[in-house]
Amino acid sequence: MSQKKILLVEDNEFNRKIVHDLLARQPYDLMEAHDGEAGVEAARREKPNLIIMDVQLPKMSGLDATRRIRAEPETSKIPIIVVTSFALSGDDKKAMDAGASAYLAKPYSPRQLLEAIRKWMGDA
Amino acid sequence: MGLLVREVARLRFSVHFKLLAAFMLVAALVAVMGAMSLEIISTMSTQSEAMHHAHHRVTASRQAQHALAMQMSYTAMALILRDEATIGSILRENNRLNSGLAEIEDAAPPEEREIIQRIRTAQGEVMATVADVANLVRDGKIDEAMRLQLKEGYPLSQQVEGLVEQVVRIEEDSMARQREATARANRHAFYLMGGFVLASLLLALFLGFVTSWSFILPVREAQGFLGRIAKGDFSTTVTVDNRDEFGALAARMNNMSTELHRLYEEEREAARQLEALNSQLARASQAKSEFLANMSHELRTPMNAILGFTEMILDDIYGDVPPEVRGPIQDVRTCGQQLLLLINDVLDLSKIEAGRMELSLTDYSVQEVVETARTSLRSLAAEKGLDFTADVQVDIPLAYGDGKRITQCLTNLVGNALKFTKQGGVTIRARLEGERVVYSVTDTGIGIPNDQLDHIFGEFRQVDSSISREFGGTGLGLSITKTFVELHGGRIWVESEPGRGSTFHFAIPLRFAKATEAA
Repeated sequence: MSQKKILLVEDNEFNRKIVHDLLARQPYDLMEAHDGEAGVEAARREKPNLIIMDVQLPKMSGLDATRRIRAEPETSKIPIIVVTSFALSGDDKKAMDAGASAYLAKPYSPRQLLEAIRKWMGDA
Repeated sequence: MGLLVREVARLRFSVHFKLLAAFMLVAALVAVMGAMSLEIISTMSTQSEAMHHAHHRVTASRQAQHALAMQMSYTAMALILRDEATIGSILRENNRLNSGLAEIEDAAPPEEREIIQRIRTAQGEVMATVADVANLVRDGKIDEAMRLQLKEGYPLSQQVEGLVEQVVRIEEDSMARQREATARANRHAFYLMGGFVLASLLLALFLGFVTSWSFILPVREAQGFLGRIAKGDFSTTVTVDNRDEFGALAARMNNMSTELHRLYEEEREAARQLEALNSQLARASQAKSEFLANMSHELRTPMNAILGFTEMILDDIYGDVPPEVRGPIQDVRTCGQQLLLLINDVLDLSKIEAGRMELSLTDYSVQEVVETARTSLRSLAAEKGLDFTADVQVDIPLAYGDGKRITQCLTNLVGNALKFTKQGGVTIRARLEGERVVYSVTDTGIGIPNDQLDHIFGEFRQVDSSISREFGGTGLGLSITKTFVELHGGRIWVESEPGRGSTFHFAIPLRFAKATEAA
């Protein structure tokens, strides 16, 4: 049986590497997209089990990408964890309104992220 | 009329002079009227006297006529009665005739005097005849006496009678003329007086009207002018024709208006500049806030990597960490966390300044707030060898508000207390006082001078810059704490004694309510 797939949509190289390293010894397949449009495209193509979505992204914001993914029947059920570094109050509400399953503020602890991933994968 | 009023207003005399002149003119009219009355009274008295005189002369002439008739009658009676008494009566009537004529004669006109002269001459002859008749009667020669009387006495008497009749007519005519003259004079006086009174009345009214309107008009103008000024119309002016005190007053008012207008314009210009400056400042402040918010975002992205990698290293994700490297990596994490706190402060401040700070309201536990603050700083207190205790009233019910922000406030105060204390300790207390929870943080640190207590809660404040070099910190913590406390409708204050320590208190409503925000 193939491993569960996680799509990470994140433009910052180092933040991608954190998630990569964090999941290196975990039983998940990680694929990456570097901007919002590519994220939506990858979600449609790969139909991952979980998406980790940064908010501040080039081309299309993470919130718009989340809404797109939610709007397509094929991808509408995929859990999405939204991560933002622009922690103005109300951002969590905006993320949930856009259709996020969970919300994490940067800087997050890798441990927390892993917990959230496991929870939404049903592996907790 | 309006033209005249304007002309009076234009006269280059003072109000005092104008009023005085008007009153004097009226007074002069009254005086002239008085003089005229006296003159008329005197004329009427003269007329009346002349009338009386004329009447007297008529009476005298009639008396003479009557005496003549009686004389003729007594003469006839003497022929019948033949006594001395009757003869005496004739003489008496003669005297009466003469005295009547004498009364008239002096003031008589020449032709009348001539008639009187003829009466005297004729009367002389009559009396001579009467004397002859009387002597004949005394001698008893009655027939002779009768003949003489009929032949000479009677015709002479008739002649006299005719002349006296003429005198009486002259006097009566004179009296009639005098009566007419008097009536004419009276009529004349009546019309003259009436006309003068009417003219005076009209003149006085006219003067009163013109003078008073020449004063009322400028007063009305001034009233309207002041009304407009009172409504804030400083460009208004007052126009009066007067060249008197009212004119001077109007000129002053216009000066005042000009000055007010100038001041008002200056004021407005200043307000405009101030407003422009204000909006400039607001724009600058907005730009600063946006810059800070963007900076915080840009700073958080690498912070996420730094803290994330150190955590994963310390969690042995990259394999076992050699003991001698673990220490420095822990230091990296501690410093990274401190840097994050500073970044959070800057972000909070930018949100507060941008007016975008909002409370996230939930139920929370006061005990948990204190415990969280204590846990996060316990290691710092232990490192500095300070006593660190917490004393929380156990029966405080569940609170409602932004628990995370309250925790941040308490952590800020406790962090400061630990920072500024070298020996002794820090104590956290939480008490319920009425509807409010009062948190207190007491330290045995350096304390705060009295003159600094007031502005310690201002932005970027520390007691002095040497302290920030020794103890570090941005000075944002207290300002942010104060903002959160006030957003909850609470109050923050401090008691301190330099060298012995400080106690910071903040009191917030147990249950947040919109209405308490303003408090």
